[in-house]
Amino acid sequence: MKLLLAEDEQDLARALAAVITLQGYDVTQVFDGEKATAELRAHAFDIAVLDIMMPKKDGLEVLRDMRKEGDNTPVLMLTAKAEVENRVEGLDAGANDYLTKPFAMKELLARLRVLTRNTEKSHEALTLGNVKLDIENQELSGTSSIRLASKEVELMSYFLRNAGKELATSLIYEHIWKDDPDVTEEVVWMYVSFLRKKLESVSADIEIAGEKNGTFTLLEKKK
Amino acid sequence: MEENGIYGGYTGALQYVLDDLTQKITEYSEKEKQETGIKLVEHLIARIKEEDSMREKCRRREIPETPYSALRELNDAIGIRVVCGFQDDIYRNVELIKSLPGVEVVKEKDYVKNVKPNGYRSYHMILLVEAPFKDIDGNNPGKFFAEIQLRTIAMDSWAALEHQLRYKKNIGNNALIEAELKRCADEMASTDVSMQTIRDLIREDS
Repeated sequence: MKLLLAEDEQDLARALAAVITLQGYDVTQVFDGEKATAELRAHAFDIAVLDIMMPKKDGLEVLRDMRKEGDNTPVLMLTAKAEVENRVEGLDAGANDYLTKPFAMKELLARLRVLTRNTEKSHEALTLGNVKLDIENQELSGTSSIRLASKEVELMSYFLRNAGKELATSLIYEHIWKDDPDVTEEVVWMYVSFLRKKLESVSADIEIAGEKNGTFTLLEKKK
Repeated sequence: MEENGIYGGYTGALQYVLDDLTQKITEYSEKEKQETGIKLVEHLIARIKEEDSMREKCRRREIPETPYSALRELNDAIGIRVVCGFQDDIYRNVELIKSLPGVEVVKEKDYVKNVKPNGYRSYHMILLVEAPFKDIDGNNPGKFFAEIQLRTIAMDSWAALEHQLRYKKNIGNNALIEAELKRCADEMASTDVSMQTIRDLIREDS
């Protein structure tokens, strides 16, 4: 697990690096914002820990540049300022989490585990009944397999993560198509229909119950 | 000359059965078109298996190169491929073929549902067709085997291209190529299912 640590306070940086390395992370250390950006552009990291107050370029700028360039590596911000405004600013700029100094090492490590656990999860296969959804390969399989379009993968994984729950058309639309201004809620029924047929085509023993414009629930078929 | 071929004196009968089946399929699909507006058959290919490839198949199966082998042991001397627009059309065709007079379904395999490990999808039927000719067992009217393969345009494209690749090079052991070919088959199947769903949605609305 590769981790970038950008912290300019020498003593704290050294202590952090030692503890994090001990937990099995592969740590790259930098001491200012410009170096942090350079490292992030050059290498793939599983997580980045950025201090806000750094020479040359502050942590918020580093973070904003990352997100602007499409780098979605999880970021944990370290901040000496405890004001609500600062924390909100960091989160809004695209941070996944923050810690206010001083903090307990134990808490830092726990938060790192949470952030890296989430990224691992997005690549694991989701299963229910005889059905498996391989998110990375966009593959849905039962007794045979079929490829899914990217929105179908999003919708199927949403159903699988919320199996047995009633999901309203509006909720599904909000969750999957909120950033797509060109489509209306109509799209939900179409994609539910696509998934139903594709589940059928791999002889799935699970099904999406529900009717057009209503609520949908992913269930195991009654034997 | 014909008497000495792998089909003995039965070439004429085979041609009759082939033409007859083709005509019957064309007839019911035209009727269906008039009744429902659906074009059940996009296109159809009919052939008598070539002398050479029938002989080759006998050798591969280690059976003698005789008319009996070609007409009774093997059952694809007559072959018809029905290519459809949509997946549901395959099943409608199967239904209609089963109801043809003088046709008995001896065996069927649904590789659309039970996809082959390499990604191959198709519906196979072996028919025993009655015709006003003496068959190899001496019966008149006689019975002749015919193999029907039904698939969508997408399945047909995949099968044709996969066949080309396979015959040019020995790719049997190349796991990466096998996996990618299967991925292509699954992607084309995905499009088939989506097109079917869209057709269903349009019909529901109208």
